Amino acid sequence: MRCSRSIDALLAACAIAALAGCAAIGPPKPWEKGDLARPSMRFDTDPLEARLTQHIYQSKEGAGGGGTVGGGGCGCN
Amino acid sequence: MLPATSLAQSAPDEGVIALRYYDYRDWQPGADRISVRSPSLYALVPLSDTLTVEGSLVYDSVSGASPLYHDTVSGASGRGIGDYRSAADAKLTRYFGASAVAVGAAYSHEQDYLSRAVSVEWRTWSADRNRTFALGMGAAKDRINAVEGVNGPVLDQPRETYDYLLGITQVLDARSLVESSITWSDGRGFYADPYKLHDTRPGRRRILAWLTHYNRYFPGPDATLRLDYRYIDDSFGDRPHMLEASWVQTLPEGFTLTPTVRYLTQSAASFYRDPPFPGGFVPGELYTADARLSAFGAVTLGLRLAKELPQGVTADLAVNVYRQRGDWRIGRGSPGLAPFSARWIELGLSKRF
Repeated sequence: MRCSRSIDALLAACAIAALAGCAAIGPPKPWEKGDLARPSMRFDTDPLEARLTQHIYQSKEGAGGGGTVGGGGCGCN
Repeated sequence: MLPATSLAQSAPDEGVIALRYYDYRDWQPGADRISVRSPSLYALVPLSDTLTVEGSLVYDSVSGASPLYHDTVSGASGRGIGDYRSAADAKLTRYFGASAVAVGAAYSHEQDYLSRAVSVEWRTWSADRNRTFALGMGAAKDRINAVEGVNGPVLDQPRETYDYLLGITQVLDARSLVESSITWSDGRGFYADPYKLHDTRPGRRRILAWLTHYNRYFPGPDATLRLDYRYIDDSFGDRPHMLEASWVQTLPEGFTLTPTVRYLTQSAASFYRDPPFPGGFVPGELYTADARLSAFGAVTLGLRLAKELPQGVTADLAVNVYRQRGDWRIGRGSPGLAPFSARWIELGLSKRF
């Protein structure tokens, strides 16, 4: 199990490192970024909705979380 | 729509106040179970060009009977419960030229559970602002006081958790971007469920979560595809994979329609035992009959309708339905599980100022 977890962490780290190399793909110039500023392109369009929905899933499924730190716990799981 | 403060590379020039109301209900064949009503409030206030503060308040009112094998130990209807949860959190973010630092605190209180947490996060971005790196750390101190625990009273039991985050956001081209992060959580303390007979869990829980988001805008239909994938490796033995897809469709007159589908498949915890209870229980060994730690698949279907109103006001209504079944898992699901269903309705109202 410890070996499996180490492999999982290594794969995830490699994916993140690959993203860091995506500068070679050809990111847009500042004047080309209009569509990226759309509200629908944000990753956290509604922080309140995200917190409440995540709480529902954490209380009904085995393990939850990811993407944030320091959110605290609850008696729901 | 609330500003994406967690990814912003500069302080927002608008504040936001938002109200949200959740009406949640779950059930199993032949019986309604838990009902939760949850009003909540969020506010973000720019204090200056480089400083923002945000926070939220949540109140859950819980009533009903616990679902079979989720929170009870017999095949009977389950204990009736009435409970509440009140929670608050706040975050202060300071923006510098090419970085930002945020410090946060959270507090949550229930009849038998108290949680206090703090966090700090640092973000920096490249000169062309096409790449953002994030490092974060959090710590939580929880206390459990289950006076009516079925295995005996659980008095003032601690749980401490430390989280660490590493993330990157990358603009791929003029219409797509991706974010990926690893979160490592290391917790020690009391993890058994005091309301489940014989429930005995490890005193340490380590969770590795890998979360990736991908957004792409399509100018033809004026819509955005949002894809999320998350993998969790839990030291308890359950390993869920989750995939979620949303299509944000702009409509005339300021409306936006967003259908969503989410699928989760998870393996069982190493100490989960199939029904009938208490099959597999050996005194002194780890054990749980909690179906949330079983092997199952789950699907959520959601639909959200939002409307932009005058004066910076946005209103939205969302409906989500959820079902969990053992035979929906990719691979072998745990036998003997009653299907679990839930639905939640959300009403939201926000104003930018």
